[in-house]
Amino acid sequence: MSAALASAPSAWRRATRSPGLVVGLAVVVAVVALALAAPWIAPYDPNEQDVLSPLAPPSAAHWFGTDFFGRDVLSRVIWGARISLSVGFLATAAGVVAGTVIGIVAGYCGGWTDRLITAATDVLLSFPQLIMGLLLVAVLGPSIGNLILAIAVTAVPAFIRIARGSTLAMRQRDFVDACRALGFSDLRIMFGHLLPNIMDEVVVLASLWLATAIRTESTLAFIGLGVPPPTATWGGIVREGFDNLLDAPWLSIFPSLAILAVMIGLNLIGDGLRDATDPRGAP
Amino acid sequence: MIQFILKRLLLAVPTLVAVLTVVFVLVRVVPGDPTIVILGDQASEAARADLRARLGLDRPILVQYLAFMGEVATGDIGRSLTTNRPVLEDVAHVLPYTIELTLAALVIGVGIGVPLGVVAARRRDGLADWLARIVSLAGVSFPAFVSGILLLIVFAVELRWFPVISTPRTGSLLDRLGALVLPALNLGLLMVAYVTRVTRSGMLKALSEDYVRTARAKGMPGRIVVWRHALRNVLVPVVTVVGLYLGVLIGNAVLTEIVFNRPGLGKLIVTALTQRDYSLLQGLMVVSAFAIVIANVLTDITYGFVDPRVSAS
Amino acid sequence: MRRLFFAGALIAAACPAAAKTLTIGMAAADVSQLDPFRATTTQDKPVVSWIFNGLVRFKPGSTSLETLEPDLAESWTRSEDGRTWTFRLRKGVKFHGDYGEMTADDVVFSLRRAADPKSSSFATDYAAFETVEAPDPYTVRITLRQPVPSLLGLVANYHGGNVLSRRAVEALGADFRLKPVGTGPFAFTEYRPNESVRLTANPGYFRGAPKLDGILYRLIPADAARDLAFTSGELDVVYGRQDQRWAERFAREADVSVDIVRPAELALLHLNAAHKPLDDRRVRLAIASAISQDQIVQFKGKSVTEPAVSIIPKGYLGTDDKAPLPPYDPARAKALLAEAGFPNGLTITAIQTSLPTMLTAMQIVQGQLKKAGIDLKLDVVDHQTFHAQIRKDMSDVVYYAAARFPVADTYLTQFFDSASTVGKPGAVTNFSHCSGADAEITAARTEANPETQKALWKEAQRKVIEQVCAVPLSEGLQVWAHRRSVDFGYDFKGAIHLGPVITEATDKK
Repeated sequence: MSAALASAPSAWRRATRSPGLVVGLAVVVAVVALALAAPWIAPYDPNEQDVLSPLAPPSAAHWFGTDFFGRDVLSRVIWGARISLSVGFLATAAGVVAGTVIGIVAGYCGGWTDRLITAATDVLLSFPQLIMGLLLVAVLGPSIGNLILAIAVTAVPAFIRIARGSTLAMRQRDFVDACRALGFSDLRIMFGHLLPNIMDEVVVLASLWLATAIRTESTLAFIGLGVPPPTATWGGIVREGFDNLLDAPWLSIFPSLAILAVMIGLNLIGDGLRDATDPRGAP
Repeated sequence: MIQFILKRLLLAVPTLVAVLTVVFVLVRVVPGDPTIVILGDQASEAARADLRARLGLDRPILVQYLAFMGEVATGDIGRSLTTNRPVLEDVAHVLPYTIELTLAALVIGVGIGVPLGVVAARRRDGLADWLARIVSLAGVSFPAFVSGILLLIVFAVELRWFPVISTPRTGSLLDRLGALVLPALNLGLLMVAYVTRVTRSGMLKALSEDYVRTARAKGMPGRIVVWRHALRNVLVPVVTVVGLYLGVLIGNAVLTEIVFNRPGLGKLIVTALTQRDYSLLQGLMVVSAFAIVIANVLTDITYGFVDPRVSAS
Repeated sequence: MRRLFFAGALIAAACPAAAKTLTIGMAAADVSQLDPFRATTTQDKPVVSWIFNGLVRFKPGSTSLETLEPDLAESWTRSEDGRTWTFRLRKGVKFHGDYGEMTADDVVFSLRRAADPKSSSFATDYAAFETVEAPDPYTVRITLRQPVPSLLGLVANYHGGNVLSRRAVEALGADFRLKPVGTGPFAFTEYRPNESVRLTANPGYFRGAPKLDGILYRLIPADAARDLAFTSGELDVVYGRQDQRWAERFAREADVSVDIVRPAELALLHLNAAHKPLDDRRVRLAIASAISQDQIVQFKGKSVTEPAVSIIPKGYLGTDDKAPLPPYDPARAKALLAEAGFPNGLTITAIQTSLPTMLTAMQIVQGQLKKAGIDLKLDVVDHQTFHAQIRKDMSDVVYYAAARFPVADTYLTQFFDSASTVGKPGAVTNFSHCSGADAEITAARTEANPETQKALWKEAQRKVIEQVCAVPLSEGLQVWAHRRSVDFGYDFKGAIHLGPVITEATDKK
């Protein structure tokens, strides 16, 4: 019998006791707050060009320096958080939800459903992930919505696979048979009992995929298919900084560090959640 | 086993056909055509129309599709529209570079990721755990073009251990290895994070399983419990991630190939796409899709070995 | 282990020095065409210049038509009426490989091929050619429909003037584009996709055997990676960036020379008069008044960019150095917009290529227009999509930077003659639907008197500017750098082929 549901209160207690989860939440909440408060806390207009001070190193006036157009990098990083986090979260959420649901269905139902889903997944997976994103954005055109769609599509097959694989392994465990014997409906078994049990692997992968999503945005920007200028995004700032990496390394380093901070936060949360939802409890 | 492999390869045929169809349609939906690349930007509209006719690009799309599929069926994946070189010749040129880079990156990714994950799990919430987790994240957070340049600045320009242009000049093994280290490290770092996380997570789960507890309770030394029993449980998710990552690696290798200036399948695909070299792009996608199919078959076979519960059939 | 790799790097570094190969780094993912009649990109043109000769040649390091000197032709005469030119060829010039001696037959074949749109991207340049004949193996006679003052430029080692081996073209067919055969100091040996082109010295070169053993032309698209490869000594010559900071950084290095050379590429913003509200001249003039060339030049740096003087590049035959360009005046821009019915500003969209240098320039323009109340939306697409869509008349304004054959006619015809308007069968690159100067452009093309011709071109420029078909943004120079150990053998002041000419005299210490 699944312990995940029964132990919810203790899971919460465990979670709040875990220092990792608290730190992770603090980091992510702080970044999200910064992004939301961008209009009030960004020291400059992120798109205001200044011909007199291009590529200025970090100083009291410009903590993160300025870029090629003399724009304040700190302001751009703060504003960029909005777009990058939205793209990352939305694309990952869409990909994870779609992929996990399809994967569980495939793994649980088996037969033709499984074969069909597996075949479609194989087709999607046969495209190198980045190439698929590149093709999609080239076809759709680079707008924020299309970027989210393209990145989500590249994430779906990975989650189908992981969810299907875990479901397959889980299906043979005793508790599924027990549930069946108790006459539970398929839906209830799949999403009430299988889902919580494979959630840890999905969560771990999802928190990492978020990094991939944000990074994919920067990669597409590198190849020239990012969010159109002058809109600031972390990936876009890193990419613009790349041209001047030898003269002004801070351009690429600061937004990269911002990505790193969010990644650490998210992964600490992911681990904390994993521990908290682990049906077998902490070792 | 052989039956299983043959079956999987046979099943891959519809997959490849589907991939080809998708690529064929997508590249023709993307605006633009190869005429500007071939004729230059001073060519008149009339000259471009003439060239389109000569290349057969003015035929109805279905006719083009059937003609193309017919050729593929006979094993001929054609010639590049822009260079007129046989596509297979270009593939044969870049494939060894892609294979060695991918394998080296996998070795680095698993070689660093699994031990890091095990250490992190054993020293849970300790300093080693935190360090392992943060270090492994750096690889996945820094875009590959930034980390690549940083590696080049340190190891190629300052220390001069390796060349900046990571294309082997001679065929010697030493030369090839020297040109491989930095790109493989850059690409492998991307995987370290995933492998570390999956290993750590699987390890924690395994360490809490009854049989591991039992083994411990019986007084089996911790190291043996970890490496012989618990690690076995970690292999399934690790193999899954590695299998998934082959596709990601081939794609993401593009950036590594560009920064380190190495030839490779990914870079050639991007070039073909940017030049709208339809025939080259289609040919390359067949090859990369086939490579991924093979990788998937290998992944599934490996499942059978590492986890008897998932049967290969 | 470390020592092992260190040794590997040493061996790698030692090998090319022994063979005296000049290694050149170019900013491109690949070459696409080495057939001179199809080579139009910055990465293709320099390679062609090392392999081929024309009847005459631009003096190495020069971009001026006045410096043309004998190449495959030893001498030439022009008839009284200027319609017949006769060239005497140098004897005993051999093509690379086993393709034999270069004769008048090859020259006639090449010029006819250059004039054929099926095989040449420069066919329109040869529209005035009536016949090309070979009275004997060492004489070529060209008959023109009307006199062409700059005829020698059309038979120079540039675009359609390059001389190809007839036998090679016929034997290699479509493969010729990546297996070029010429008479130049270096012969093509190998092409590696996405990687490099290798040339070897032609020991039988008619000016003498080259001092170098060969050229390795490396294709390195990532700017930072190319810079690092140059810094680490893996490249002898490197294609730079149109950025003053780049030039200054490398100029500080002891053994490096930075070369900032002509021709300049003129960047124009074409205003599409077929799209509302740009059909209103006041709106176009407002845009022109809101753009400051000086600021653009300041961003990119004075040593690598210059303000343009007209809507055709400086220094071309026929460029008006004092063309009446509208001055920078943001207040006037706002007033004009209000007058045209847009007191609160307006929004226009540009389909824009994702290539970084072009995107950078356009972002500066975006910032300037914003101050005048004009919201310029950039619809960034990949380069081929850009080329396709601007040719389908889809963009309100088009950013286009180009260098052409240095005669006013080429630029005027391709960008401002209504016959070249996008959408028409003869379409080239007239994105603005400019039509006001057709009469002058056409008349100048066949005008025999050089003075009258210049006056016509001047009037054409005035009319195009008056109609506000395009706004000049700046002229970007070619930026290269080379190690001091490289001696080009001439003064590298100009790069008509967009890269340094490597001759028999070029050496590396």
